[in-house]
Amino acid sequence: MSIGATHIDHIVVASNNSAATAKLFSENLGIEIKRVMSRPGTGAHMEFAKLQEIVLEFAGPGQPKEGEEPKARLGGFVLAVGDIDAAVATLRKRGVDVGDAHPAVQPGAKIAGIRAGTHGVPLALIQYNAMPAGNDPAGS
Amino acid sequence: MKVRKIDHVGIVVKDLDAALATYSRHFGFAVDGSRGGELPALGIKNAFVPVADSDLEFIQPTSDQGPVAKFAQERGEGQFLLSIAVDDVNAAVEHLRGLGVRVGDPSNGVAFVSMKSSHGVNLQLIQR
Repeated sequence: MSIGATHIDHIVVASNNSAATAKLFSENLGIEIKRVMSRPGTGAHMEFAKLQEIVLEFAGPGQPKEGEEPKARLGGFVLAVGDIDAAVATLRKRGVDVGDAHPAVQPGAKIAGIRAGTHGVPLALIQYNAMPAGNDPAGS
Repeated sequence: MKVRKIDHVGIVVKDLDAALATYSRHFGFAVDGSRGGELPALGIKNAFVPVADSDLEFIQPTSDQGPVAKFAQERGEGQFLLSIAVDDVNAAVEHLRGLGVRVGDPSNGVAFVSMKSSHGVNLQLIQR
C-alpha cells in the first residue's frame, strides 16, 4: 500500500552560503529565485526556485562565515502526500522511524521528517492545506 | 539555455535490490523495469523509480573505480547527483562554457558540470 506520495515537492541544496549558491545556480542555469526568506528562530537563510512542480531549496546559515569558500551538497528531498497523518501512521506500522507531523514554514502546510530507513537520504513528507494558513509559524 | 525540469535525483546505495525493496515497502514506489541495469563501462548498476514527472535513480557501484565508487567509499549511501533536463544539451554546454563554467563534453545526451563550478554539487544536464 502506498503512503499517497504524489510527487517530489522539493529538493534541498544545503550550502554554507545559500545566497551565493542560489545566485550561482540562478545565473548559470537561468532559473529564477522566486522567494527568499529567513527562518524565525534558527538564523537560517533560504532561497527558492521552482522547476515545474519541484522546488529547489537553497538552505544555509543566516550569516555565512567571512572568507569561507561557498560549499554545497544535496541535502535531501521532500515528498508531497495527500494526508500526512495517515502517511506517518502507515510508515510507523511498517517500522519506519518518522517524526510527528508539525507545522512547516509554508503557510498551512505540515511536515514530518523520516529519521531512518532511507539509505542515507534526508527525507521528509509534506502536506499542503493541512491546516488553516493562519497557523503559519513563519508568518509568511 | 532552456532548463525544463528536475529530471531525476541520483542516490548511491550499497545494495540496489535492498534499496529498491526498502523504497517499495516503505513508500510504495515501483521500479520502471524498462530502464536501468548493469553498466560495466561505468562500474555501476542502476534502476529508476518514477515519482510523478521525475525519477529517483538508485545507483550501486560494481567496481571500486569511478565517481560512484568514490562517493560510496567516502560517504556511504546518499544523494549523489541532481539531473536537470535541458532542451538541447550541446547548446547548454556551449552556453555554460561561455559563462566560464567547467563542464564536460556531452555524451549520449548527458553532460556533467564540474563540481568546482557548482559549489560541490554533482550536477548533470540531460536531454531526453
